[in-house]
Amino acid sequence: MIVSCFPTGIVNFERPGQGIADIKKAGFTDVVLDFSMCCTDADLEYVGKKDIRRRKKTFAAENPKELYEAMAPILTKCQSEKVAFSFAIAPHLRRDTQREELNGLLKELAEECIRICGNVDCRYLVVRPLFFGIPEDAVWNVNKEFYLSLEPLAKENNVMLLLENQCKSVNGHLVRGICSDGRTAAEWVDCLNAEIGEERFGFCMDVGGCNLCGQNMYDFASELGSRIKAVILRDCNGSDENSMLPFTCVNKRSSQTDWLNLIRGLREVGFDGLLVVDFSDTAATFSPILRPALLRLAKEVADYFKWQIGLENLLKKYPSVVLFGAGNMCRNYMKCYGEKYPPLFTCDNNKALWGTSFCGLEVKPPENLLDIPGDCAVFICNIYYREIERQLRDMGIKNPIEYFNDEYMPTFYFDRLEDGGNR
Amino acid sequence: MLQIGVQTKNIVNDKCPQDGFQMLKCTGFSCADFSLNGYLLNTDLYRANVNKFFDQSVAELEQFFLPHKKGAEAAGITINQMHMPYPIYVPTGKKELNDYLWNEMAPKSMAVCKFFECSYIVIHGFKLARYLGSEEAEWEQTEKFIDSIAPIAKEMGITICIENLYDSVGGHLVEGPCCNAKKAVERIDRINDKYHAEVLGFCFDTGHANLVGIDFEDFITTLNHRLKVLHIHDNDGKSDLHQIPFTFSKTRENTSSTDWDGFLAGLKNIRYKGVLNFETAPVLTCFPDDMKEDILEFIGKIGRYFGGRVV
Repeated sequence: MIVSCFPTGIVNFERPGQGIADIKKAGFTDVVLDFSMCCTDADLEYVGKKDIRRRKKTFAAENPKELYEAMAPILTKCQSEKVAFSFAIAPHLRRDTQREELNGLLKELAEECIRICGNVDCRYLVVRPLFFGIPEDAVWNVNKEFYLSLEPLAKENNVMLLLENQCKSVNGHLVRGICSDGRTAAEWVDCLNAEIGEERFGFCMDVGGCNLCGQNMYDFASELGSRIKAVILRDCNGSDENSMLPFTCVNKRSSQTDWLNLIRGLREVGFDGLLVVDFSDTAATFSPILRPALLRLAKEVADYFKWQIGLENLLKKYPSVVLFGAGNMCRNYMKCYGEKYPPLFTCDNNKALWGTSFCGLEVKPPENLLDIPGDCAVFICNIYYREIERQLRDMGIKNPIEYFNDEYMPTFYFDRLEDGGNR
Repeated sequence: MLQIGVQTKNIVNDKCPQDGFQMLKCTGFSCADFSLNGYLLNTDLYRANVNKFFDQSVAELEQFFLPHKKGAEAAGITINQMHMPYPIYVPTGKKELNDYLWNEMAPKSMAVCKFFECSYIVIHGFKLARYLGSEEAEWEQTEKFIDSIAPIAKEMGITICIENLYDSVGGHLVEGPCCNAKKAVERIDRINDKYHAEVLGFCFDTGHANLVGIDFEDFITTLNHRLKVLHIHDNDGKSDLHQIPFTFSKTRENTSSTDWDGFLAGLKNIRYKGVLNFETAPVLTCFPDDMKEDILEFIGKIGRYFGGRVV
């Protein structure tokens, strides 16, 4: 799973040096090629209007051929810093646009983006569907024609075109738009690929879009399955479209995005594509002085998602496992993974539990970990991860030590053990 | 012209139910959505604070509701739909509570529905996806419940209606049970085939749909003839406010932020012939009591406007 970062809000596309360096220093090795940096939705709204020349940076919007030149500083800087582009986004219109006559321009812009992606070995390009002014019953046919018209160029440049779930504006209220139904979106991707006889089209799941429409992200991910090539991770309050760092949009100590169903869904479909973190609004509001620290946190957050989504793959990695902890987390392990990845035993610091059985596992003293096979991993099932890891290392345990976490389990018990915290 | 209805909560009381029904008639309604859920409140159920109302025998319940039935008849109001108390299952509740809801409250609600000669009873699906892992697993439990009352429904000629609901994630209201029209269609058809009767239908709740960004026209059109009853109300897209349609706006243009055009287009697409029923009881507590009749008249007018657009 590759982790990538949106540069928007961090990098000035005309003077990208510091921003790209900060992103790289935070540990990101991949940056999104966001063409809307130099051809924004606001720029597109001005296309053809008298005062366009009074606005700065609108030239690419009117002249797609100038996209490359406009993006040149960021492309050059990333190349010199050895930061890759795996994922790009073509310019798109505002959700509440009234500019249906721009569909031709959008096609030209998408084509130019494909060429640039080809030049910089960028594998995936999101091209949003055409929407404004298209009658409901013609949406599929118009977009089918649109996407298929881009396919030869995409093939020539070895670019996979990604469709993305959309919101539509009902007088400012964002509701479910094109490709927001998982089954329909899957049909679109399949039809397009069937038409050309190869996998040239895939899907980008925009978590922010799903959240704005209160969608069940488990169902959405399950319905799209392996068609999902990229996931845009961004947080928002569910009613205003913002790109905030995951876990920052909260209400009364709870997140307002349904991370549980997202992780459940991506874990179930074995997602192993691109994880793209978009916190452009958060970044833009942070002082440039604080941005390096924010970027480091963003990288940690992205890595955390990668780890959560791939948790089952981590379990698969080891020929055998033992657990540390005989409380709720151990109980949840046994409920969800005990049958598939049965632990040899569990251990606990609580002497009173030694020799007892918990969820079918024998509870042993930590010292017993000194006798387990060398390739057996110890999974800590207790929130005091670092403290316990230190204890085990101090005991001289050389085995791999991993953290287990039950925040995003496939299922949960209806209750929690009342003495779970003391076990 | 389609008939117009409204829920009885805050209008019809137990002391003198006839007055409430008379008020409905005078303010332009011909139908009512009987708020049976008012006799066993969800807020109480979540606190395991169960009153004794449904401990009464069916005969006692019929006796209790006789004035309501006569009042409606006298006023010329048809009770076309009612709402079963909810939730039917409390995940953190004791077995005795859940058994009571399933085995006592639900069948007796069906009996009350029959007593009122009411054709539709709306239920809430179980909210268990967090625990069981998926909406599919959650639906299995709801279906078990439906299976427990479907034979009664068939015998009584009642259609149980499932309703699109929401759930909460940190106060953000998100998709809950029955928010997928395609799945609802498959399930309704399968269950009705199984019972060789129309035991299951759908109640489309505009407010709940608005909260989770559902495309009204698409959803209603997909449901088609399976759509039996409506809960019409409005909100700001954030909270389940149960207000009058056309109340909310999000832009300086001050146009409605709820897709009423899509709603009416959907009803027109399927040639909806049911009742345009408003679930707007909270409006009546927002406005001064002295304005209750004015408000009801206004809601009724919106109903007639809707009716004119649908037919």
